[in-house]
Amino acid sequence: MKKIPLVLSVNGEEYDIYIPPNRTLLEVLREELELTGTKEGCGEGVCGSCTVLCDGFPIRSCLTLAAEVQGTEITTVEGLKNEDGQLDLVQQSFIDRGAVQCGFCTPGMLMSAKAFLNRNPSPSEDDVRKGLSGNICRCTGYTKIVEAIMEVAKKK
Amino acid sequence: MRLPSFEYLEPRNVEEALEMLAGHAGRAAVVAGGTDLIVRMKQRLAQPAFLVSLKQLGGLNYIRRENSLIAIGATTPLVSLRDSDLIKTHFPSLAGAARLIGAPSIQHLRGTIGGNLCLQTRCLYYNQSPFWRSGRPPCHKDQGKICYAEENSDRCRSANQSDGACALMGLGAGIVLSSTRGTRSLPIEDFFTGKGESPFAAGPDELVTEIRIPVPGNSEGSSFQKLTYRSAVDFALVSATAWLAVEKGRISRARLVIGGAGASPLLLKETSDKLVGKDVHDKHAVEETARQARNHASAFMVDNLGSTLEYRKKMSAVMAKRAVQKALDRCLGNSSVKGRKSQEDQKS
Amino acid sequence: MKKAHTLIGERVPRVDSLAKVTGEVRFSGDLIFPRMLVGMVKRSPLAHARILHVDTSRAEKLKGVKAVVAGKDTAGVKWGVFGYTQDMELLPRDKIRYFGEEIAAVAAVDEDTAMEALNLITLDLEELPAVYDPFESMASEGPPIHEGYPNNINIHVHIDVGDIEKGFRDSHLVREDTFTADEDSYFQGEPYAAVARFDDAGNLEMWMPNAGPHMKAKPLANLLQMPLHKVRLRKIAIGGAFGGRSEISPADYICALLARKSGRPVKIVYTREENSVNIRMGHALVTTIKTGVDSKGRVLARDITCYMDGGAYSSTGPIATSVPFLCMEQAYRMDNVRYNGYRIFTNKPVRGMIRMHGRSFACGVDLQLDMLGKELGIDPVTMRLVNARRAGDFTPTGSHVASCALTECIEKAAEKAGWKEKYGNLPAWRGIGIGVNSVQTGFPLGIRGGSQAFIKFNEDGGVTLISGVVDNGQGNDNMLVQVVAEELGLEVSDVTLITADTEVTPNDPGSYSMVSTFAGGNAARLAAVDARNKLFEIAAKAMEANPDDLVLENKKIFVAGSSDKFLSLQKVVRMGLIQGHPVSGEGHYAPKVDQRREWVKNPKGQLSEAFSFGATIAEVEVDPETGMVKTLEVTAAQDVGRAINPMVLEGQFEGSIAMGGQGGMLTEYHFWDKGRCLNPTQLEYKVPLAADMPKINNIIVESLDPAGPYGAKEAAMSIAMSAAQAYASAIADAIGTTIKDFPMTPDKILAAIESKKEKG
Repeated sequence: MKKIPLVLSVNGEEYDIYIPPNRTLLEVLREELELTGTKEGCGEGVCGSCTVLCDGFPIRSCLTLAAEVQGTEITTVEGLKNEDGQLDLVQQSFIDRGAVQCGFCTPGMLMSAKAFLNRNPSPSEDDVRKGLSGNICRCTGYTKIVEAIMEVAKKK
Repeated sequence: MRLPSFEYLEPRNVEEALEMLAGHAGRAAVVAGGTDLIVRMKQRLAQPAFLVSLKQLGGLNYIRRENSLIAIGATTPLVSLRDSDLIKTHFPSLAGAARLIGAPSIQHLRGTIGGNLCLQTRCLYYNQSPFWRSGRPPCHKDQGKICYAEENSDRCRSANQSDGACALMGLGAGIVLSSTRGTRSLPIEDFFTGKGESPFAAGPDELVTEIRIPVPGNSEGSSFQKLTYRSAVDFALVSATAWLAVEKGRISRARLVIGGAGASPLLLKETSDKLVGKDVHDKHAVEETARQARNHASAFMVDNLGSTLEYRKKMSAVMAKRAVQKALDRCLGNSSVKGRKSQEDQKS
Repeated sequence: MKKAHTLIGERVPRVDSLAKVTGEVRFSGDLIFPRMLVGMVKRSPLAHARILHVDTSRAEKLKGVKAVVAGKDTAGVKWGVFGYTQDMELLPRDKIRYFGEEIAAVAAVDEDTAMEALNLITLDLEELPAVYDPFESMASEGPPIHEGYPNNINIHVHIDVGDIEKGFRDSHLVREDTFTADEDSYFQGEPYAAVARFDDAGNLEMWMPNAGPHMKAKPLANLLQMPLHKVRLRKIAIGGAFGGRSEISPADYICALLARKSGRPVKIVYTREENSVNIRMGHALVTTIKTGVDSKGRVLARDITCYMDGGAYSSTGPIATSVPFLCMEQAYRMDNVRYNGYRIFTNKPVRGMIRMHGRSFACGVDLQLDMLGKELGIDPVTMRLVNARRAGDFTPTGSHVASCALTECIEKAAEKAGWKEKYGNLPAWRGIGIGVNSVQTGFPLGIRGGSQAFIKFNEDGGVTLISGVVDNGQGNDNMLVQVVAEELGLEVSDVTLITADTEVTPNDPGSYSMVSTFAGGNAARLAAVDARNKLFEIAAKAMEANPDDLVLENKKIFVAGSSDKFLSLQKVVRMGLIQGHPVSGEGHYAPKVDQRREWVKNPKGQLSEAFSFGATIAEVEVDPETGMVKTLEVTAAQDVGRAINPMVLEGQFEGSIAMGGQGGMLTEYHFWDKGRCLNPTQLEYKVPLAADMPKINNIIVESLDPAGPYGAKEAAMSIAMSAAQAYASAIADAIGTTIKDFPMTPDKILAAIESKKEKG
C-alpha cells in the first residue's frame, strides 16, 4: 500500500507524517504521534473511549481515517489544558467531584463533555445524560460524571 | 484493528467523484462519515480496493426548499436534520429518527443522511469479526451459500436497521442517483432491492447525491418509533414510520413502514390502504392496523437481531400503533403524547 | 496519643485522578518500548478438538516475523488456581476445549505482518463432539472435556448444617422454585493487554491488568520455569477488573514466551471481543431453592442446588461455586441449610468470579422471601428484617460475625426510599422492591492471605509507602495514601507510593477477594504507626518528653497541647539519620481466618475476619405494552464498617448499581450460537448508558469493625448484588408476578404480564 503524506493539526501543533492511507485517526494519534491519552475500547464506534474533537465537534476517532481530517483542528485530551498548563474547568471538576475511577473512559468522556458544554451552556441533568450517551463508563454509574459537568455549567 | 489496504482517492467535486467511481466500478466504495463502512472494513466484510472520499463534496451538504419539495444533500450530517427547523416542522419523523441514531459523536460531522440511507443490512451471524466467522462456510451475505440465522434458507435474511431509511420510506422520499451516465431519480421503494445479499438498486458507479421529500400539507403528520433496550447507540430491534393525511375527520392518505423486518424497510401498502377512509378517532382501526402490520412484518423476521423473535414480532404491532397514533395527533395539531416508554420523535 | 481524625472520613479527591484527566496515565496498551514487537494470537476455530499438528513453518519464514510459539514451545506445565484444579496449559499441546482457545501466537514488527503470519499457521485438528450446556454436558457420552472428571463435573461443593428435614417439618410454609440466569460479563473499560520484556540477565518484566501482581507472578514463574525473583510484574494503571483479571491469562504467558523467543519486548493488545471471550466471564446458573419459614417469616430450613456452567477450564471453580452460597449465609440467619453446588465443564469460554456473583442464586433467595411473605401477609422489608444477620452471630459454616449493621441498613434504606408510604400504594405498573446481601472481606488464601507494607523517609521528610496493594480503578492507591497521611500528619500530596510491583513490593493478597483496605490498609496503617513510634522515640529524647505524650500533626511533632514547641518531621528524620538510626516503618496484617478451611474439602471455619452488609431498594415503572422498565430511583445502604473516603464509596455504590442492577437485572447477558458468543462487544451486550441510569441515594452505614483499619471493611460489592435483587423484587411488585429467568429483559416481562392476564 502506497503511503501518503498528511499534515495533521493536533492540539494546535502541526505534524507532517507519511502513512498508509488505511490508518485511522486513533491509530495515528496513538502510534505515530504517541499521544496515548485517546483510547481504543471497542474499535467499532460504540464505547466512545476514542472520542476527540474535530473542529470542536466530537467524533469517534476509531472510525475516522486520518486522511479524512486533514485540514481540520483536532483536539485530544492532551490538549485540554490551557497554555499556562492549567487544567480545563471540566478536568478539575472531574477530579474534585470524584468522577474518575479507573480512568480509561475519562479522556473520551472529557472530550464529549467539553463539546457538549460548548453547545449547551445551561443544560438540565437530562440534557447532560443524553449528551454523554455515546460514552460508556463501567465504573462510575455516571452519577458523578454528570454532577461534575453540571457544576462546570453552573460556574460558567 | 487494522483496516485492509486500499488506495485513497480525494475527488474535489462531484464530477471527479463520479469519474472515479466509473473508472473503478465494483472495486470502489465511497466514504462519507465512514461509521458503517469503516466498521465493516475492520471486520473484512468489505474490502474495496479504492476508497473515494466525499470530504470535499461540501456542496452536498444542504437542506433547502425547492417549491413543493424539500431537498437534502446526501452528505448532510444527521445533527443538521435533527436541528433543522424545516425538517422538524415538516418531517418530525425524520428529525426524530436523526436524533435516535447512534449518539452525539455519530450525529456530528461523521454520520450523514446519505450514509444512513445506505446502511448495509445487518445480522448477528454476519456482523462479526473475521475470526468469529471462520471455521465454517461463509453465509449468503458473505459471498457464501448458507444462512446461519435461519436454517436451510436459500437466501440472505439480514435486515435493514436504518432509522433514516425507515423514516424516509415512510415519507415517500425520492432518491437522486448520479453517475457519469447522468442523473436519475428513484422512488425510495425502488431504491431497495429487498435482497440481503445486495440491498441497493444503485449501480457500482452511482452515487446517492440527494434526497427529495414532498412538502406535506397542513393536515399531514408523521412519526417515527424505535424500539431498543437502551436509550442510545443501539440499532432498532424493530421500528415504524407512519405518515398520515387527514381530511374532514377521516384519514385521506396513509403510509406505514416497518423497519428491522427484511432487507428493505417494509412498506405496508395493503395495510396503509385499509386505513384510508377511517375516522380519525377510530381506535379499533388503529388496533387492526397494528395487528396487520405485525402479520406482514413477521413474515420477514428471523431471530437474528437480538432479543427474541417473538418479542420483535409483538413489538412491530406496538411500534406501528404508536407511530399511527402520534402521526394522527400531529395531523390534528394535537401535541399530547401517547404511549410512555418507546423512543419517540418528541421535540427536544 | 489519640487525636481527632482529620483525613479519615474526608471527601479527599483521589490522588490518581490528575494523571487520568490529562491523559498522562499509562495503561498496559499505552506502553511503548524501543524495538517492541506486536504480538497476536491464533485461535481455534473449533470448540472441541484434538490437536494433531500445528504447522508454524510458513509463518516463521515471513519477513518481519520475529517469533512464533505454540504448545511445543511450552514446558507443558499445567496451571490451576488450586493444586487440585491444575488443568490448563495456557497454550495447549493436546487438546482444544473451546471455540477461540489460544493455539499459537506470533510476534512481528507490525500489526499487518502479524495478521498475515497468523493466516500462514495451519492447524490440523481432529474435531470432537462438543457440549454447550451443563445438563447436556453431564449427560454426554462423548469424550470428557478433561480426563478424570466423569460426567464433566468439575466441582461439587457440599454443605450441610443442622437438620434441614426437621426444619422443613417445622415450617409453616414451604416453597421450592428454580431460577435461571445466563452468563454476565465484566466489560471493563480497558481491553486486556500484556507487555513483556526480558533483560540480558534473563529477568522478565511484565505489565498487564491484574487484581494482584503477586498472584500472577508465581504461576507465571512456574509456567516459564523461572525462579520467582526473576519475574517482575510492574505497577500499571488498570482499567477495571470486577473480578475478571485475577488469574494468570494465556495472554500473559504467550506474551512472555514471545518476548523470550524473540529477544525483544512484545505487546499484545486484545480486541474487545477477545477481552470478553478469552479472559473470563460470569457463570450461567440454574438454582433450585427450597425454603421453609415459620408463621413470622423466619427461615427454618433452606436447601439449594446450583448448577453452574463453568466453561472449558476450572479457573476459580471452587471459589465461584461457593461464593453465592456464602454471601447468602452471611446475610441471613438460618440454622438448617444444605447446599449442593455443581460446576460443570462445557466447551465454552472459561468462567470466573464476578462482582454480581450468581444472579439466579441471589435474586432467587430474595424473591422467595417476597413470595413467602406475600402468602403470610408479611411485607418484603419485614421479611428481610426478621432474617437479617446480626453482630455476634455465627454463620452456618462457622464464621463469627464481629460487626454487622444490616438491620440499620434495611431500616435506613426503607425510610429514605419511602417504603412504608409506597409499598402496596403505588399506581399501576409501578413497583418497589428490596434486596439484601453480604460480601466477604477476604478469604483464606494460605501464604498469600496477608499484606505487608514498608515506609521510608527522604531527608526532606517526604514519605514513600511500599505496598503490594493493587488499584484496579476503585481507589486503592488513594486509600493507602489517605491512611499513611493520616497517621503521619501529612497532606496526601506528601505521600509517594510504590505499589503492586513484585520486584519491590512485599506480598499482598490482591484486590480480588475484597480485602485491600482491610489487609493492605491495615498493613499500611501499622507501618505508619511503626514509623511514627520511632520518630517519637527520637523526638522525645530531644525534647525531654514522654513519647506517649507526643502527637504528629501538620508535619510537626509536639507534646499534646503545646503546639508552639515542636520539632518538624523533617528535622526528626534528619536526626535519625545523623544518629545512625534512620527511621523506617514496617507493618503487616493477615486477616484472622481459619487456614484449615477449604472450599470443597472442608467448607467450615472462619471464612473472613469481617463481612459487609447491604440493602438496596429500587423503584421502577414498567410499560405494560412493551415490557420496558424505567428505573425511577434506587436507594443503597451498606454497612462499610467505616467510610475512609465517602466520595470514593459513593462512586462505588453508583457503579455497583449500574452493573449489578440496571445492567445486571435488565439487559446484560450473553447469547450463543453453540460455542460462539453472539454478542462479544458493547453494541450487542447492553451495558447501561448515562441516560439509562436512575436517581441514586447513597446511605453509608458504619458499624466500626473492631479489626478493620479505622473500622473499615468491604465496601460496595454487596450493593452490586443487592441492587440486582432489588430490581428483581421491584419488577415483580410492578407486574404482580415473579419472573425466574434473568436478566428480566422486556420480552420476559411482557410474557409474564400476558401470562398473568391469561390466568386471570
